Amino acid sequence: MNEWMQQHPASIGGLVLWAIGLLWLMPSGKSDKARPGLPGILLAAAGVVAFCLGAGRGVDTLQSEVMFWSFALTALVCGALMITSRNPVYGALWFALATLGTCGLFMLQSAPFLAAATVIVYAGAVIVTFLFVIMLAQQTGSAGYDRRGQFGIPAVLSSFVLLGVVVYELQSAPLQINRPETPKVAEVGGASGSRDGGTMTSPPALPSPDAPINPPPPPSVPALLSRATPETPVGSMKGLGRSLFGDYLFAVELAGTILLVASIGAIAIAPRREEGAL
Amino acid sequence: MPELLITIITIAVVVGAIPGVCNYLILLERKLSAWMQDRVGPNRVGPLGLLQPLADGVKLLLKEEVIPPHVDRILFLIAPGLSVFTALLAFAVVPFGPVGAEGAPSFLRFIIAPGIDIGLVFIFAVGSLAVYGVVLGGWASNNKYSALGALRASAQVVSYEIPLGMSVLGIALMSGTVNLEEIMQRQISGGFAAWNIWFQPLAALLFFTASLAEANRLPFDLAECEQELVGGWHTEYSALKWALFFLGEYTHMITISFLTSILFLGGWHLPGIAEPDSAYPLAWLVKLLVLMGKAFFFICVMIMLRWTIPRFRFDQLMELAWRVMIPLSLANLLMVMFVRHFELSNWWMLPGSGALFAAWGMISASLREAERRSRPGYVRRKKVDAHHDGHAAGHAAAH
Repeated sequence: MNEWMQQHPASIGGLVLWAIGLLWLMPSGKSDKARPGLPGILLAAAGVVAFCLGAGRGVDTLQSEVMFWSFALTALVCGALMITSRNPVYGALWFALATLGTCGLFMLQSAPFLAAATVIVYAGAVIVTFLFVIMLAQQTGSAGYDRRGQFGIPAVLSSFVLLGVVVYELQSAPLQINRPETPKVAEVGGASGSRDGGTMTSPPALPSPDAPINPPPPPSVPALLSRATPETPVGSMKGLGRSLFGDYLFAVELAGTILLVASIGAIAIAPRREEGAL
Repeated sequence: MPELLITIITIAVVVGAIPGVCNYLILLERKLSAWMQDRVGPNRVGPLGLLQPLADGVKLLLKEEVIPPHVDRILFLIAPGLSVFTALLAFAVVPFGPVGAEGAPSFLRFIIAPGIDIGLVFIFAVGSLAVYGVVLGGWASNNKYSALGALRASAQVVSYEIPLGMSVLGIALMSGTVNLEEIMQRQISGGFAAWNIWFQPLAALLFFTASLAEANRLPFDLAECEQELVGGWHTEYSALKWALFFLGEYTHMITISFLTSILFLGGWHLPGIAEPDSAYPLAWLVKLLVLMGKAFFFICVMIMLRWTIPRFRFDQLMELAWRVMIPLSLANLLMVMFVRHFELSNWWMLPGSGALFAAWGMISASLREAERRSRPGYVRRKKVDAHHDGHAAGHAAAH
């Protein structure tokens, strides 16, 4: 960890700057007036730039670079706007846009099904439900407590610690994943980039722009998702389904059971008609 | 770059054609409504009233744009655009003609984005975003009627998305793909007996009903019902912004009609006329017209349904989705799985669908009876009913 921190001062500094900027931008508790936003925006932007430069990623074709950065920036900026927005409805909408940006990234990773499913579940259902509740709750303008960020410091602290740990893990830990023997199946197409494809057995490697960019891999299920058979095409529903209901059948069933139990529980604790609900 | 050029041309043609088509669909709706009600309908502008849509369009363009002072301006202006945008975006993966037909000019591709592997899922994803236009429009208007309409719309769309998606899962299982072109191709190469409607009549019914609800068409138009909510979510909208909402709704209708024709009625296949091997000149044009004709038929059905089935009450609407359509679509999916797993003939699904429908009808009737019996006021109610029945019977006997 120490070694990694010394090697990536820019990433760490960037993360810290980013966190402080966000904290500054968050709606504050004391007054109803917003702080001037500019310093926060500048800090956060500088932090993001430093972090991205420090983390580094493989260089790709111009087209996918442009796409990646526009989607990534959409997701990041909208995410920041979501937690700094003083109007809950706008917050929910920025959340929707951040989700769409993330789905664009999924698309770039040739996981169109994941992207579509995320749009359906998050943008289409979850956020609509949020909007529903917010609209019910605020018939007459937004209340004071709606305009305030709750627990700003712990939230920012914990989320950025989490982000730092994730980045550290992604960059330094060798990926220990069961892979098929054919090495080229393991590459994920190089757009997310902080992993150094093809050197899975090597010690923690710094991704550098001049790292060998593997030739465009033959279509395959993303390595993180599956022990793929080489002929299942990348990101296709067939590949994803085979992976979910083959390799990860137990986990999927477990998740399904938990969801089922949760929904039964929700029905059980919801008040019944005789108890005065609707 | 010819590929890119073709794409741009196709987009331009579709985006250009859809508003015009929608305009004339409104005329069709007014004419059909008039005929159903024994009226004449618009007949003043041009021969048979055929120029009425142009006059309407000009009127909408020139009308005063009213933006009430109490609205949330940004969202108020974005909402109609969103509604059109999502409706048009869903059309991107819908093949609207004989894709890859021989003899057709190469610049006619009949689909904006060919070869999308997740075609159907994409349509559902974009369709699930369509509710934002309604919800934001209703909320930004800062008006009680609008807010109520938006609330109803969001609850309705979120609920009906589930049967909408689940009803076509059976077809995805049968075809082994969710790519619309491939689903269509499978039915076409199989001939008349391979149309999905023979195997999935119940799914067709569920899909069509759920998509009517998604499009806010009449039996399900609680979000804008005039008698209760003035205009629902678009109460505060005027002129072109109001028209954009309706452009979105009619585009949705077109997409639904094409989807129903493609998923269940064999796309451009018509026995004897448009077969895959029909080679007479301009066969591609006939195929195009066949598909358009099927879509047109469904649009007419939707318009006529408007004057056939009265609007639901909101609890009935929710009950229909959660207690009828979702269990039925699940059962239908299970049936497809069963047939596929035991490698039975697909034809088992035809009687199976009928049996499911009948069984669910009986179950819900008896459930309803049981629920009525468990109500606290049942006895009193029954007495009233008995009185009524007796009265009616006596009346009938007297005649």
